[in-house]
Amino acid sequence: MLEVRDFTKYYGDLCAVEDLSFQIDEGEFVTLLGPSGCGKSTTLHAIAGLVEPTEGQILLRGEDVTTLPPEKRNIGMAFQSTALFPHMTVRENIAFGLKMHGYGSSDIEDRVDESLELVDMPDHGAHKPGELSGGQQQRVSLARSLAYEPDILLLDEPLTGLDRVLREEMRGWLDRIQNEVGVTTLYVTHDQEDALSMSDTVVVLNDGHSEQIDSPKTIYESPASPFVAEFVGKSTRFTGPVSTDDGRTVVTNDGEAIVAGRTDFEPGTEASLYVRPEDIEISTTATGATNELLGRVLNIANLGNRAEITVELEDGVEALAHTHRFPDISIGDDIYLSFDPDSVIAL
Amino acid sequence: MSTSRGSIDGVLSSVGESLRGRITNGHLAMFGLGFVGLFFVLPVLFLFPESIAFGTGDPFQAYRRAMTDTYISSFVRSFLYGGITTAVTLALAYLVGYFLAFGTDRVRLGMTLIIVPLWIAYIVRYFGILLFLSPAGPFADLTGVNPAILFSTPAVIIGLSNVYLPFAVLPIYNSLNAIDQDLVNASRVLGASRWRALVSVVVPLSLPGLVAAGLIVFILAAGSFLGPAVLGGPRQTMIANEIASAFLENFNIQFASALAVIYSILLVGALLVFNTVFDIKEVLGNI
Repeated sequence: MLEVRDFTKYYGDLCAVEDLSFQIDEGEFVTLLGPSGCGKSTTLHAIAGLVEPTEGQILLRGEDVTTLPPEKRNIGMAFQSTALFPHMTVRENIAFGLKMHGYGSSDIEDRVDESLELVDMPDHGAHKPGELSGGQQQRVSLARSLAYEPDILLLDEPLTGLDRVLREEMRGWLDRIQNEVGVTTLYVTHDQEDALSMSDTVVVLNDGHSEQIDSPKTIYESPASPFVAEFVGKSTRFTGPVSTDDGRTVVTNDGEAIVAGRTDFEPGTEASLYVRPEDIEISTTATGATNELLGRVLNIANLGNRAEITVELEDGVEALAHTHRFPDISIGDDIYLSFDPDSVIAL
Repeated sequence: MSTSRGSIDGVLSSVGESLRGRITNGHLAMFGLGFVGLFFVLPVLFLFPESIAFGTGDPFQAYRRAMTDTYISSFVRSFLYGGITTAVTLALAYLVGYFLAFGTDRVRLGMTLIIVPLWIAYIVRYFGILLFLSPAGPFADLTGVNPAILFSTPAVIIGLSNVYLPFAVLPIYNSLNAIDQDLVNASRVLGASRWRALVSVVVPLSLPGLVAAGLIVFILAAGSFLGPAVLGGPRQTMIANEIASAFLENFNIQFASALAVIYSILLVGALLVFNTVFDIKEVLGNI
């Protein structure tokens, strides 16, 4: 459906994106995930035709569109700023794309009605965008970009700037509408929750190149690089040289021995191990389990349905663990952490 | 040194302390309003009694005289030249403003080039144009063609547009610069060509700047005195020239006042008509 081949973009001497390649199948929901400045927006703009690639090709439906102007690409796009035309009503905004795509006037009226219906805003057609709330504006923006049945929908951080509750509600919206319309979607975000909750495939970008292209499950459970492990989800990191011990690889961390499940390290090399907070068990007494570490509670963040506790280990590493809600421990308590070797991410 | 600084600060703060609560923003505004009232509103209002011949059998004789052909054509010319100058200036200023907003990174240099002419007296700039276009001037020297447009309507329009251009560029640039690039991008992705994006998105969103610029230029140009005096001939006389000559050459204060009153009423009338078309308040409120 969409293929990006060796896309490279320089701004002067500054390299924004280097040799990025990925593809999206018909109906798929793909997310470009990365911190700000990683090149994800540049990539999206290049696909839309708003940025000219320095090198590489962009293929839509098998056709090379690299040099085609944006208006000839039949793409739908929703912006973080919503980019609704402030001088037009909601109806006129939605009709604009239809008019530009050559729809007849009665057809336009019908489709505008359908689009407003789709985003549950049938009565807001006569309003100016400025009279709507942030979430409503984003829904109109979505309706506008879908009205003329684009080949692909590009979403440039449409949920950034909305508050948490609205964000989660809008996520549900987007997911439902994407399923209903079945449109191929490329979503750009720096928010891992957006990426993990909606995507079929996630492309993790860092500093202009892709770190990993995989399903959300694989990205989270088997990150391909330290960057992905650290950027997607929280974790505690242990580093140190590798030694061999009864067939399993052990990384010693200033005297602590930590056993990782599946690794293929060369003995003696430096390695990083990551443990997700939900994989860590806590206990006030030693249980003798594998990978048991003693530490002192530094902080307890009660998040309602669970608590996130920060524990300073004896060697100074700060470990993060999730516990059941409102745990019966206090800051300064000594506590034992343990985790299953199979849950350790070894890189 | 530090003690005297300290005592000055002490005095200032105790003055400030004693004024606290007694001087409000309203008082500060009064200074500005008072100045405008004293030196603008009152003098203009004063023109009206000046224009009437009290104690004679024909108190409106000056107005009767003002309604003769010579002066009517000066009135018409003022509004006509004002309109043409506005159209020419807005077109040029839009091109310049568009270039500054979207076409260059060297906005500060461009702005300097736009602003600097404002430092130079009008009379100097008009004389510059006069010399440049004169049969023995550099234009004729370089091209070998005598432009032969001095002391004609085109010369006056060129002069006025030139002088008022900066007043139009600034508001237009401001409103163009305020347009979110995402809006233009969105229109392109929605299927609009460059041209269509300009017509449907950029121009409507810069309308407040265009209206503000148009008002400023029209008001300035219609009331021009120096431009037609330097670059025009006897057939380019505008109403300000008539008022000046009645006042300064013939010392006919009554007649000059009558012309001024008529002109002011016509101008306000024109603005009211304009307002019903554009709703100035709403358009300018969006700036």
